[in-house]
Amino acid sequence: MRRIIPIAVGTTVLAICLVLLRPANSPSSSTTVSPRLISVQRFPENGLCLPDEAASTAAAAPPESLLRLFGSSSAYAASQKSGEMADIGRPPVRTIRDTYPTYSFVAVDNQHDEVVLQDLNLWSIRIFNRLENTPPGAPPSVPRRLIQGPKTDIQFNNGMYIDPKNGDIYSVETDTGDKVVVFDRAKQGDVEPTRILRVPHRGFSLAVDEDKQELYVGVQYPPQIPVYRKTASGDEKPLRSLQGESTRLSDTHGVALDTKKKLMFVNNWGHVSDYLTAGTGRFEEASISVYSLDATGDAAPLRVIQGPKTQLNWPAAMSLDPDTGDLYVANDVGQSILVFKEADHGNVAPSRVIKGSKTRLSYPTGVFVDAKHKEVWAANFGNATATVYPLSANGNVAPVRIIRSAPEGYEGLRFGKVEAVAYDSKREEYLVPN
Amino acid sequence: MSHPQIAAFARLAKENTPPTRTLIGQKTLISRTMHAFDYDAVHDEIVVNSPLAQAILIFRGGADGEEPPVRYIQGPRTQIVGTGYGALDAVTVDGINNEIFLPVASNSVLVFDRSATGDVAPKRVLHGPDTQIQFAAPGDRGALPAVGVDPMHNLVIVPSRNSLLIFDRNAGGNAKPLRVISGPKTELGGGKPHVYAPKGWIVAMAARGSIGVWSINDNGDVPPRWRIPVTKITGMNVNGVEIDPVHKELMVPTGNGNTVFTFSVPEIFD
Repeated sequence: MRRIIPIAVGTTVLAICLVLLRPANSPSSSTTVSPRLISVQRFPENGLCLPDEAASTAAAAPPESLLRLFGSSSAYAASQKSGEMADIGRPPVRTIRDTYPTYSFVAVDNQHDEVVLQDLNLWSIRIFNRLENTPPGAPPSVPRRLIQGPKTDIQFNNGMYIDPKNGDIYSVETDTGDKVVVFDRAKQGDVEPTRILRVPHRGFSLAVDEDKQELYVGVQYPPQIPVYRKTASGDEKPLRSLQGESTRLSDTHGVALDTKKKLMFVNNWGHVSDYLTAGTGRFEEASISVYSLDATGDAAPLRVIQGPKTQLNWPAAMSLDPDTGDLYVANDVGQSILVFKEADHGNVAPSRVIKGSKTRLSYPTGVFVDAKHKEVWAANFGNATATVYPLSANGNVAPVRIIRSAPEGYEGLRFGKVEAVAYDSKREEYLVPN
Repeated sequence: MSHPQIAAFARLAKENTPPTRTLIGQKTLISRTMHAFDYDAVHDEIVVNSPLAQAILIFRGGADGEEPPVRYIQGPRTQIVGTGYGALDAVTVDGINNEIFLPVASNSVLVFDRSATGDVAPKRVLHGPDTQIQFAAPGDRGALPAVGVDPMHNLVIVPSRNSLLIFDRNAGGNAKPLRVISGPKTELGGGKPHVYAPKGWIVAMAARGSIGVWSINDNGDVPPRWRIPVTKITGMNVNGVEIDPVHKELMVPTGNGNTVFTFSVPEIFD
């Protein structure tokens, strides 16, 4: 009985098999070789095989006995020789990528009747007519304007804010960009930002207090909420910052402000550690913590929404209805928009949940309350769409409009910074993280 | 970062092919960008960091959806610490020898028993001036590299400041490296090195957006034997590499293009 053995750690078990297949006179580890002198050794037609008993023994064997186990005294290993180097210039044989936008955030410009979508796959900002609607079967909608290109400094941007007076677009980069870029409303193409503000690494969300002209930046880790002058640029320091163990900030994502009641809402994924101290990591449940609008330093939250009833599951952007105080949460993996009452606290269920197959929600990470038109928007990370609902929507409701930027029924790859890949040899699958 | 999923794709997937499964959600304890992780084929497990929570997560190999890890390592005894900037985002598993290697801030490589769970101390720590390991400190603006393991020749390859330090796999304490690949000719580019043990090749990132291949027996200022100039070919950057010896392919992820390229390179594996 023989069976096919998966490739261990990309190398190990295959290495064992190849030792078995190696001719008796093949070079030992002490032999000096160049790449061009290596012989071709084909795998057997019936797969890469080890006897069952040998396979199980190999997995349990101490390392020094592995070679002995297979009757070999050493394994071949190349060694230093001539210093020759050969370039392999062939193009890739396959490419995995998503050629459509991946929408992470959405915001509405009511002055100009436009909606702005942040795309972190193709590194763009796409501006559509607010009433744009892509009917079923129609080709993808084309944006009115597109901001994209190396001059824009747009990369893995998430949080956006649209100035309600002049339509300026604020966008924060989530990875190594470490900046907020600001574009004049009318800019398009490959253009430099009007203004750049350097912010801490891992900025995720933006909110603005227009009364005080202050810009809030939600920073994922080390979790903090620095607050800047709205017009700050360059290396300008924040006016204040909320940060510390007492804040209960943890892997911070969405931020929303209620300037009437002077409150700040922040959601947290519950991944906690003090990066300066070893072994301080711990996991908590996702939460929404509520602070005074002017909270600073290591201030404790006024109250916290947390627990299994909340349904929070990788909460992302948040948006507040200024008329009712209702807090809308883009609940990514929950495939839902959660609505909490402003005074909610503890383990409380949302008062409304937009969720279900009719909603067309697909991993929503962006949400925006358009109080003027009594609508709520979702940016769907999973299917290159933005969907719009009545502000009072609840349950499994169909969107009133959809902006679709990919073919009907498209399922996106949901890539968001692909920096590694591991090979699952058992299933012949690539494992690709964001 | 939005949506820090681990997505599985069929090996022959192409543009716009959706994942066959994704590991996502609060229950997974996944937190943010993972710069290097491993699939352990011996035990059919995925080993990955939770970068913001100083933890190592171990999942079933076939884990799907909102599936929690089967175990995780985290706590005061673990000595796990990353950096504020780069967090803790690279881990390596040696399924043959049942060990997990975790580089941590302040110039150390922690080695855990693969089956360890909870708040456990590492079984050994590679650390000290003679090791020549130079990683970022917790407060530095830097990230931590992953190590490569060669269980056949009993070696561990530690990237450190444009060098590859080659240690005995069982090295601990203030051990000296057996060999050091370092110098301008090496064109080393950082990132996780992979070892193709049957040939003794080290496959790792090289300068100017390339993948290079060195030998485990190299020592000193040695150029790579082969170089795949990925950026020159594709116009995109290089953030890592993985090897598939059966199909004689290299996989190269590129962060700035949200893309995974596959290169056929039989000459490296033949």
